[in-house]
Amino acid sequence: MNDGPDNDAQDELDALAAEYVLGTLAAGLRTEVEHRLPHDAALREAVDAWEERLQPLTELTSPHAPSAALWPRIEHSVDELHTRPASVPSTPWWDWLGLWRGLAAAGLAATLVLGTLLLGRDAPAPSYLVVLVAPQDKSPGWVIQASDQQTIQLIPLGVAEVPEDKALQFWTKGADWQGPVSLGLVKPGQTLKVPLDRLPPLESDQLFELTLEGRSGSPTGKPTGPIQFIGRAVKVI
Amino acid sequence: MTQLERTFDYEATLAACARGERPALQSLYQQEAARLLGVLLRLVREPALAEDLLHDAFLRIWTGASSFDPARGSARGWVYSVARHLALNHLRNRHREIQGAGVEELLGVEEAGVALGEGIDVTLHAARIHLCLDQLPPARRACIVHAYVDGFSHAEIAHKLGAPLGTVKAWVKRSLAALRECMG
Repeated sequence: MNDGPDNDAQDELDALAAEYVLGTLAAGLRTEVEHRLPHDAALREAVDAWEERLQPLTELTSPHAPSAALWPRIEHSVDELHTRPASVPSTPWWDWLGLWRGLAAAGLAATLVLGTLLLGRDAPAPSYLVVLVAPQDKSPGWVIQASDQQTIQLIPLGVAEVPEDKALQFWTKGADWQGPVSLGLVKPGQTLKVPLDRLPPLESDQLFELTLEGRSGSPTGKPTGPIQFIGRAVKVI
Repeated sequence: MTQLERTFDYEATLAACARGERPALQSLYQQEAARLLGVLLRLVREPALAEDLLHDAFLRIWTGASSFDPARGSARGWVYSVARHLALNHLRNRHREIQGAGVEELLGVEEAGVALGEGIDVTLHAARIHLCLDQLPPARRACIVHAYVDGFSHAEIAHKLGAPLGTVKAWVKRSLAALRECMG
């Protein structure tokens, strides 16, 4: 047997890629794979190979003509993608200073929640805290707790209302990043744990937000829907 | 693959989409929408939802065409994987929502499916995957087809086949390893 640890790791990676493409990975692992893909060449290669292997199985389904309204709807959405920058404030939301001035009140909420979270902690590692507030009334809706720089927890303070055909999508953007990166879909009222090991380390003022998107998330990979909750990371000593 | 699929230049079409040429997206739609919708409908089983996903898939193809890299695989394969993964994300997220509701409710609709190992069109056997699938025991072959084509989770396959969940998980793993061995 020449199965060394390297072969084991390769087999594991290949098994993960295979079940990702096959579709049997549970939601959490699927999200993890999708986060790793842009940065993990070995995983990407394994996934690509499985896509090619299994793709002929799509021929087992019968074609189904779309309704006549679908193409015009797609065209309309493509138009919207191109006109949006002109129809909303010309700076993207993450550079929207007015919003940030208004969010100063959230600082108080952060202090309060922080006090609660720190109680009973005997080994305070350097950590970050974010309170996500609703942009309209600044009411806090979620807290993000990061006790190390690799994992964050998104903790609900209540149950957000989400329309049946929509989903909340979680995003983050550091100061020097080109745009926000998706951290996955969020279920109202449920704590979400997100590994950040494929992103740069957390930093002060890093932006987090939840937007309302279609039920399978933003079609473009960038936020397209209205902001529901938003906040910046505060370093906690 | 039909003659039509062979002559349509998927790679050039994606390159044109990446340059912002709208007619390219429309020609891809005319070429593939019905087949893509067939794949999505089989996965999610709700016509309105399948059309929503096809809409999202075309937006993602439009915005993501510039990220398509021909060195990583075929352009047509990329288009299908964009659509399939949107549907799979929906299915797996939904599954998480209704955990505890019981898989029976999910399986209320009997699939208008292919009788496994029997009705598969002979021409399809040209594809290596079918030759390799044929070497698997029927239950394991069913696992792969139910997962890939029907979008079933491990639990749904277990329910469908009347097999224990742990057994199904092991069958899936071993079948994938066997397919890899067989297909290279």
